[in-house]
Amino acid sequence: MAQWTPDEVLDCRGLSCPMPILKTKKALKNLKPGQILEIQGTDPGTRNDLPAFTQRSGDELLGEEQGDGYISFFVKKG
Amino acid sequence: MSVMVEKFKEGYGVLFDRNWPLWVGAIVLALLGAICMAAGRPWGVAGGLRVWGDWIFYSIGLYKQAPGNALWLSNPAILTWGLLFGAFGSALLSRQFAFRPAPPLELLKGLVGGVFMGVGSVMAGGCNVGGFYTAIAAGSVSGFAMMVGLLVGALIGLKYLMWEIEHLPSKPPKQRTAKEGGRDWKKVQPWLGLIFFVFLVGWAYGLSYRAYTQPAVLMLAAVGIGVVIQRCRFCFVRSFRDPFMTGEAVATRAVALSVILSVLIFFTIKWFRADWQMIYIYHHWIGGLVGGIIFGIGMLLAGGCGSGSVWRAGEGQWKLIIAVLTFALSNSLFKNYVWTSKFAAAWGKPYFLPDLTGGYFWAIVITAVVMLLWWAVMAWNEETDRLTMV
Repeated sequence: MAQWTPDEVLDCRGLSCPMPILKTKKALKNLKPGQILEIQGTDPGTRNDLPAFTQRSGDELLGEEQGDGYISFFVKKG
Repeated sequence: MSVMVEKFKEGYGVLFDRNWPLWVGAIVLALLGAICMAAGRPWGVAGGLRVWGDWIFYSIGLYKQAPGNALWLSNPAILTWGLLFGAFGSALLSRQFAFRPAPPLELLKGLVGGVFMGVGSVMAGGCNVGGFYTAIAAGSVSGFAMMVGLLVGALIGLKYLMWEIEHLPSKPPKQRTAKEGGRDWKKVQPWLGLIFFVFLVGWAYGLSYRAYTQPAVLMLAAVGIGVVIQRCRFCFVRSFRDPFMTGEAVATRAVALSVILSVLIFFTIKWFRADWQMIYIYHHWIGGLVGGIIFGIGMLLAGGCGSGSVWRAGEGQWKLIIAVLTFALSNSLFKNYVWTSKFAAAWGKPYFLPDLTGGYFWAIVITAVVMLLWWAVMAWNEETDRLTMV
């Protein structure tokens, strides 16, 4: 089961670049530092884009988990 | 023996599990683009898509005359086939091929974005590749006009995407999200990819054997471009969009580097082949600017440009498959019915940059300065986020 407990879940399944990153950026704005966002996605690009994004934004990419037909990424707001 | 297998797996992992760095793509794209140029047909994508569109309309009887370019072996068509095949094969080798459905709104954006790109690429004389990347490398002044247009279009498109996120609630897709397929399918993919590449090389060999050497060279180069571009996820849209979106400029740097390398190689070729000087200089000033804006909006909607839509279609993304189709169809229609020669003539003239600067030297300097300026502004923004809108 999930290693991290998200405060909010963002459903980006079926969305392709750049929508997952754009939505992630917006969702993170509404979180408090330390809260965790789960991003569910299916776009193969997200695995590249998300680490690059969090590195710049100062948030922390905790890790990913394989879901049923999608991947969940967990980001802690910095 | 087992050590060999281990090492092979390790190498395979480096090549096909992880993505390649963008700067690798920047350099290899410049080299493969130069091979296309040396073979007499610089790299472009929209031209091939138009050939597809022409043939579709001819086959349903809308066009009475058979298209001038063959569906398979004409130079523009084979470049785009090669890009699609290369990306498809590369996605198989990387176990990344899957038919990926998308919510209705996304599919609609693919459709509309494709139409915008089709129309814009006719005006600009090519897509982000033929109208901007290759055009600047070839010394066409219109390439700079399209660059400005693409930047403006990307800003408008991004504004729309932000509006959409605020105002249009995205419906969570029905559970039919991307089926990556079972384990077995994933294991089979690299083998299918290998067979596919052997087939492509054999096909190219067969072509050259029958004296179709030029198409064979162009196809192999385009297949190579498809592989590199898929493995790097090399994306021209990102180079224009990301500085305004996330502030990131890594794609901008890669494209700027690639253009500078390309211009050096292209000009060398053109220097030795004076009769080739005007190759790829047929675009028009205002067309590049207006076409660039329209194209830029389209590529933001679709999430892929000319090359980006084709390689993502090769990965099985439905949204981009639709974008490629509407790109091809609208480009063909717009070229044949709206873009009459009289109309187009009013939009400007072709200019070869070295003719204006009195030689190649200053043309190279100007091109490099423009690219480095773009690089520098976006690198500055990477630190300050002054231009970032989201």
